[in-house]
Parts: sequence; C-alpha cells; structure tokens
Amino acid sequence: VTTVAPTAPPASGPPVQAASLVDLLDRLLGVGVVLSGDVTICLAGVDLVTVKLRALVTSVKEAGP
Amino acid sequence: VTGSATYLYAVTRPLPPDRRPDLRGVGGTPVRWVEDGGLAGLVSTVDLAEFGQDALAAHLEDLAWLERTAREHDEIVQASARLTTTLPLRLATICTDDDSARDRLRRLGGRALALLDRLDGREEWGVKLFATATAPPVPETAGAATGTAYLQQRRRQLVQRDVAADTAVRAADEVYTRLVGVAVDARRHRPQDQRLTGAPLPMVLNAAFLVDRDRFDDFRSAVAELAAARPPDSVVLTGPWPPYSFAALEES
Repeated sequence: VTTVAPTAPPASGPPVQAASLVDLLDRLLGVGVVLSGDVTICLAGVDLVTVKLRALVTSVKEAGP
Repeated sequence: VTGSATYLYAVTRPLPPDRRPDLRGVGGTPVRWVEDGGLAGLVSTVDLAEFGQDALAAHLEDLAWLERTAREHDEIVQASARLTTTLPLRLATICTDDDSARDRLRRLGGRALALLDRLDGREEWGVKLFATATAPPVPETAGAATGTAYLQQRRRQLVQRDVAADTAVRAADEVYTRLVGVAVDARRHRPQDQRLTGAPLPMVLNAAFLVDRDRFDDFRSAVAELAAARPPDSVVLTGPWPPYSFAALEES
C-alpha cells in the first residue's frame, strides 16, 4: 500500500496517501486471524500494541530536538 | 534457542502450483505453500534465534527491526491478495513446524472458507479524520488576580475544551456513519497518537472500511464530499489494503 493503487481512478477528493508505518502496525498487530494454543509464539495483541507504542514513542522522542 | 520454525503469513484457498509466484518473506526466506483443510497457508522457515519468544520480545522493541519485518510481512500479504482472496495473519505468527501450520489450517477449516467467501471482490480502505480545532491552551494562573477570577477562567476553559471534544466526536461519527453507508463493513481503530502522526492537530477518527471493488467509485465520491466540506488535509484516504481489519477469526 505504499503506492497509489491502479484500481484508484483519478477522482475528486483527497489523493490516496501512502500508508505510514503506524497505519500498517494498526492492522498487523491489532487484528488478523488470531492463532493461539501450541504455537510457539503468540504474544497477546495488547502486549504487542504496548510494545509497539513504546518503541515508536521512544524513537520519536530521540529523533526530536 | 536454536532451530527453526514456520512463519505463517496468510491463509487463502489452495492455489495451483503454476500460479504461485516466487516470493521472499522475512529476512529473504523463500515463501512456500502448505495445504490442509481446504486451505493454503503461505509460510517461510525462520530462525528461532530471531523469532523465538525471547528474541521476538526484544526485537519488537527495536523500531528498525519492527518496521522491516512489518514491511516484509505486508509485501507477502499484498502479493497474495493480488492473486487471490487472502486472510492476513497477525505479525509474527510462528508455528513450531510445517505440520503445526497444517494443523492450524485444518482447525480454521470451514470458518476461514466462509470468511474468504465474504471477502471476495472486496478491499479495505482506510480513512483518517483530523480535528479542525484544538482546545484552548492551559491557563496561565498568574493572569488571574484572585481565586474567584482563576476559578471562573478555569471553568470557561474547561467548557471550551468540552465543546471542542464534542465537536470532534460528532465529526468522527458523521464521517464514519456516512461511509458505513457505502461500505460492506467497517471498523474503528484507535486514533493514532499525535506524537506518531506528527500532524498539527489530533486524529479523531481512524477507521477501516470493507468496500466492494465495483462500488469503490461511490465510496470515493463520499470521501470526496466529506473532504470538500472540511479544511485541506483533515481527511486522509489510504488503500487499497488487503482485508487486515476484517479477517479476525478466533480459533476455537
């Protein structure tokens, strides 16, 4: 989703924007088929979101003035 | 931790071998297809030194690793979605081996097939709405000569802040409701933290819509209409996405 889709015709209204990393993580960490049980790794979604935000916010702060 | 495991990216209906493209998954590992229960899973072999539980927990704190892995995962899901209707799995869904992945497919079985039927011919679009006004700045207490004046000033500011918050909630509901009308399904993600968006105003709506491909023009027009009634850049459209927000399927 990093490029404008060929299915998107030139129409009025806002242009289709490239997806940010946060847009992607909203989707990759929040939902999707959830597997649990004897799979080696299945961190709970909430944990992942917390980890994600901590990692991102930390990096934003470090990159700041 | 040593050894390998099977990274499961997505689930589809079985794809004939001659239609399977040459794909590279996380860390450049070749993508393979495993089948069971009338389903196919896109997998690749990963090293437990990188994707074992402890290693993964540490890597998720590493933004560069997280971004690279998320992008690689997304590329596989997108490549699959271009070929056939695709159920994306969560980032870093790791099975002990291919047999374990096949076992997962068998257990997902009919429910996954029903979900694939529901997602045929449909795509996900993201719509983000940003606030058009902010709450007034926090009061300078020095400006209030007396306790009474301070309290009055504070009360006015709280009222203004409530009004701004109400306005944001109403705007978000209006946009969401309008677009639900031209979508098959919709989900609201949590609005993104302003520190992450870098936008001058807070996000008030972060929604995903499942849209019929042949009704996309209607959806696009509705977005254009909503955007036209608002300041530039306050309505942001992303997509098309594989149906990430509509593939939730709890395993029994």
